[in-house]
Amino acid sequence: MNAAERIKIQKNVCDARRYLLEQPTQKIVECLSRVLDDLRDPQSAARITLAGELPSAVGFSPETTREGLARGFAAWNGATLRQLIERELGPLDKMDQTSSCRVSGFDSTAILLAGAIPMPTILAMLAPLVLRSPVLVKPSTHDSVTPRVFAKILSALDPDLGSCVQVVPFASTDHDALTAFLAAPCIVATGSDTTIQNIASMLHPTQRFVGYGHRLSVAILGPDAVSSSNITRIANGIALDVALWDQLGCLSPVGIYLVHDDPDAANRLANALAQALRKAEGDWPRGRIDAKTAAQIAQERAEAEMRSAAGKSVHVYSSSGTGWTVIREEDATPRANPLHRFLRVAPVRDIHQLKQALLPLSPHLAAVALDGFGAATPSLVRMLVELGASRICLPGTMQSPPLAWHHDNRGVLTPLARFTDLEL
Amino acid sequence: MFPSMKTNTDPQRRDLDTRILAWMQEASEPKNWIPNEARFEELSLACFRFQFKHCESYANYCRKIPKTPDSIQSWKEIPSVPTEAFKTLTLTSFPSENAVHVFRTSGSTAAKRGELHLDTLELYEASLLPTFARHLFPDIDPKKCNAFFLAADAQEAPDSSLSHMFSTAAARLHFAKSQFFLRQGKLEIAALISELETSISQRTPVALLGTAFSFVHCLDALRERKLRLQLPPGSRILETGGFKGRSREYPAAELYALLSTHFGVDSSHIVNQYGMTELGSQFYDSNLLAPEQPRRKLGPPWTRVLCIDSETDREVPDGEIGILRIFDLANTGSLIALQTADIGRKIADGFEVLGRQTGAETRGCSIAADALLLENARERR
Repeated sequence: MNAAERIKIQKNVCDARRYLLEQPTQKIVECLSRVLDDLRDPQSAARITLAGELPSAVGFSPETTREGLARGFAAWNGATLRQLIERELGPLDKMDQTSSCRVSGFDSTAILLAGAIPMPTILAMLAPLVLRSPVLVKPSTHDSVTPRVFAKILSALDPDLGSCVQVVPFASTDHDALTAFLAAPCIVATGSDTTIQNIASMLHPTQRFVGYGHRLSVAILGPDAVSSSNITRIANGIALDVALWDQLGCLSPVGIYLVHDDPDAANRLANALAQALRKAEGDWPRGRIDAKTAAQIAQERAEAEMRSAAGKSVHVYSSSGTGWTVIREEDATPRANPLHRFLRVAPVRDIHQLKQALLPLSPHLAAVALDGFGAATPSLVRMLVELGASRICLPGTMQSPPLAWHHDNRGVLTPLARFTDLEL
Repeated sequence: MFPSMKTNTDPQRRDLDTRILAWMQEASEPKNWIPNEARFEELSLACFRFQFKHCESYANYCRKIPKTPDSIQSWKEIPSVPTEAFKTLTLTSFPSENAVHVFRTSGSTAAKRGELHLDTLELYEASLLPTFARHLFPDIDPKKCNAFFLAADAQEAPDSSLSHMFSTAAARLHFAKSQFFLRQGKLEIAALISELETSISQRTPVALLGTAFSFVHCLDALRERKLRLQLPPGSRILETGGFKGRSREYPAAELYALLSTHFGVDSSHIVNQYGMTELGSQFYDSNLLAPEQPRRKLGPPWTRVLCIDSETDREVPDGEIGILRIFDLANTGSLIALQTADIGRKIADGFEVLGRQTGAETRGCSIAADALLLENARERR
């Protein structure tokens, strides 16, 4: 990106901010609601584009992409957007009127994207607009499709509002472009903890920085989960959570903890998960992976086989290729997970042992799929809240978070907002 | 210097070691550096029989696959064990009480480290010396070079296979001068620069050896001092270990360009060594040995490398990318067939490494040095 392009972008941002400040919030939200409605409709041009282009661009199979989009956008609509705004910012009809607390956005919000999944991208681009902040987006290297599609839908519905979103791809090595990008008063970034740390170190203390670092999710199952009436349903639910987006999002479980005093219960669960993943492979085939990932999967499987050969209670269930893997572990020792439909089932004796196993994960804990605890469920929930889980849900729903989910235990809009209390 | 030699009591093992050592000793003569297929086949199958008999967990693994000494015909079929398994299991083909030395993969105390238990260092050293000399000094007598190591010596880092390798080379190759410059976690940069400047004034070629990341620390120090050296003609650099997920990472071409700029050593004289703690032998870039040919990794005649398709567990066609599976007869005391998580492809009689295992479960020697250096930096603050 050259200097002239950067100056042009800067001018566009100023124009966009001016335009947004003149618009009633109701009008902006109306348009954004229509964007969500559009994305929810499988026949809309936007959905067809996403479903058509993401597989070749990102590597997901067409079936997985279609299912992921359907489930991800199912509960996102105008009504849920309004609920989100009202929950975090107050009644929509009062936002532009006199009230004791005024809410405003920043002159611009720059968003550095890192992931391969469309829903977080859409939400990240949409949220600043609610606060009348123009959006600059650097697309992820994994997904250049979603930001473009979002900008296109918005422009089609309201060209002026569409001009408030600028997708600015530039190479990570383009230091001048990065410096200009990071001059925005509000920066949103997703990525590894190291990336987040590096970006934070490049910002001035007066800039608002909203970083989303490394997160992971797990499933925690109680004794009832392996009963004959529940085991297949739960295994199918977890298989869906793993299969969608090929386990690459922070909402896919990387580990399954089974709290049970019978060691054989973990074998039954691992076997049921293997069957469910086999079926899922037929319905939603895994996408392509590179040689390095395939090597890691082969390495972890063989390592587990060696532990099994050495007499440990470890069992490997897997597809003939690298399509899916379930490893029944002997204990809950943290181990590497190469993802792409790779699960470890860790048996734990009781809740105390479970807590010990989860403690090292707690700074990174996102969602927890919870099932099979019956009357003990509230105490499990209490423990998970203390550990910092940002979402507790049922197996099979992990990939369909509500629009208002407190990603990283925070609000969706409040981190991007400036609040002014009037005491006149 | 290394008193840890021990006579093997098992006659079968003694016989194997004797035959393999004979090959290694013959190979010190360049004309005997021959990848004798029949010899490798016979010795590798004999090693497999021995290791199947003496390493119970490996035997169980082989039975499960199932590939046993009675069912295979070729060394290519010998079941390989993943390098990750060395983190969780002690894989030896001798009674554990006979271990005289343990090499450990690098890593923090929090991460599980891989371990190679040895009952003798004889094969290890016999393998490394001719390979090291052949690939790093094919055009010059090591006695005419100064060897400076950006690493700790074996006394300071007894569980580092890299330090052991460097110390063995320093002790046996009779360099004009040799010195280690990583002491108590600190890179002694002033002393190194002084020795390099002396070498320049005396026109003595220098062999500068270390991990990729130790070179990065060294380059930082040279840049801070605004110093660019021009090492004497014939000087060379050996870098090994890669970056393995460290926060600062240079592509090889960029690192080599910086090394060339700051040490005055052309990239044609920079050699990468590919090795791992779990292996007794190492592989080197071919650029000094065969400068006219494409750069590729070459190993000693008692090793073989296959590129495997992860999906089918079969060899990929020549030139295609696969995961590297290594067979090394220097590993008689552990297991000769190792499955790495590194990817690469075959090039003529050698191979190219395209990516090493990274991420949370990092391994390799570069981090050990880096961890020491970073720890030291923290202490200084």
